[in-house]
Amino acid sequence: MSTSQAIYAGWMEIPTSAVNDETRLRAEDEALAALVDQYAGALYRVAYSVLRNPADAEDAVQEAFLRVLRHRHSLGEVRDHRVWLIRIVWNIVLDRKRRAKTRPETDDVAELSRVLPSTGLSAEEIAAAAQHHAHVLGCVDRLPAKERQVLMLSAFEELTSVEIAEVLGITESSVRSRLFRARNLMAGLLDHERSLR
Amino acid sequence: MKSNPHNPMTSNSAPRGNSSPVEETLRLVASLPAPAGLGDRVHAALRAAPRRGRVLVWPRALSPESSWMRAAAAAAIVFVVAGGGWGVYTRVQHGQPAKVIVMPPRLPATGGFSGAGAVRAPQTLPGPAVTQPPKASPAQPKRSKKPAARLNSPGTGGNQPAASGKTAPQPATSK
Repeated sequence: MSTSQAIYAGWMEIPTSAVNDETRLRAEDEALAALVDQYAGALYRVAYSVLRNPADAEDAVQEAFLRVLRHRHSLGEVRDHRVWLIRIVWNIVLDRKRRAKTRPETDDVAELSRVLPSTGLSAEEIAAAAQHHAHVLGCVDRLPAKERQVLMLSAFEELTSVEIAEVLGITESSVRSRLFRARNLMAGLLDHERSLR
Repeated sequence: MKSNPHNPMTSNSAPRGNSSPVEETLRLVASLPAPAGLGDRVHAALRAAPRRGRVLVWPRALSPESSWMRAAAAAAIVFVVAGGGWGVYTRVQHGQPAKVIVMPPRLPATGGFSGAGAVRAPQTLPGPAVTQPPKASPAQPKRSKKPAARLNSPGTGGNQPAASGKTAPQPATSK
């Protein structure tokens, strides 16, 4: 092979790095698809617990996975994918909640009565239960942000206090102390509401 | 749903108080099932997302990751910067006075008033008048400063004129 032919071949040949890139991209796509199949439901529940709207929660989940797609090259460096994904969607929903206008409480009640399980309950009981839950959630919304976040994340059975601390970027002892304060504040709020009735 | 012993809400170490309805509500909300087809919709959104593709594939020898390519790029940058500096240095001629733009003389406005060649002399304040003291003649000796009455004293001969007031030095012949 002459020199010019060799140079030409060097320019035109499909380099092995391109093949490796394609293989790597395919592997990353497969890993991302597996993450979607495994954690989309959990992320939806986290998003719904904050946004309390199915469409908004689904949008948040999609946005979270789109962010993961953008940073899929660093998927291999992530130690715990579940906590990492929950942290991403948590930041997204908090940002959305901050930007969204305050919705009237009646919307929450209607949404909850539609979403909550209603097996074996009459329509009045479903409405009463939805109203009760909406009232409790309204009290939760009145908590300070730090305590509220810990309280909401602690409702997820899958998350340990260490993982909650990792999602929020605080220590485990802070999680416990904030949860203690949140419970006390909630007790005070509910007692106050009861005394007003 | 199985309870997680490491979850702070289900662990017995944390105080519960009156917050059981709260926890019940939150747990109920947190355990809501995801809507059907959520995974498929997320997959579709990921497929539809624009991906940054490569238009050209760098040959391996010219890939930006290769070390000699980085060194060549760094050398090229240094060469361009140094060459630019040298070019500026050689164009600037040192030791010569700076070029001054000469303004054209202002032409009198046509059709306007003319100064008729008058030169304006600024009115300055008159300075202080200093009177020069009279100069003494260089031939007059110092003795002339003595009073003239001594020279015209009686007994020294009054035949010499003393009207001019100027006395010439005389030798002392009387002794």
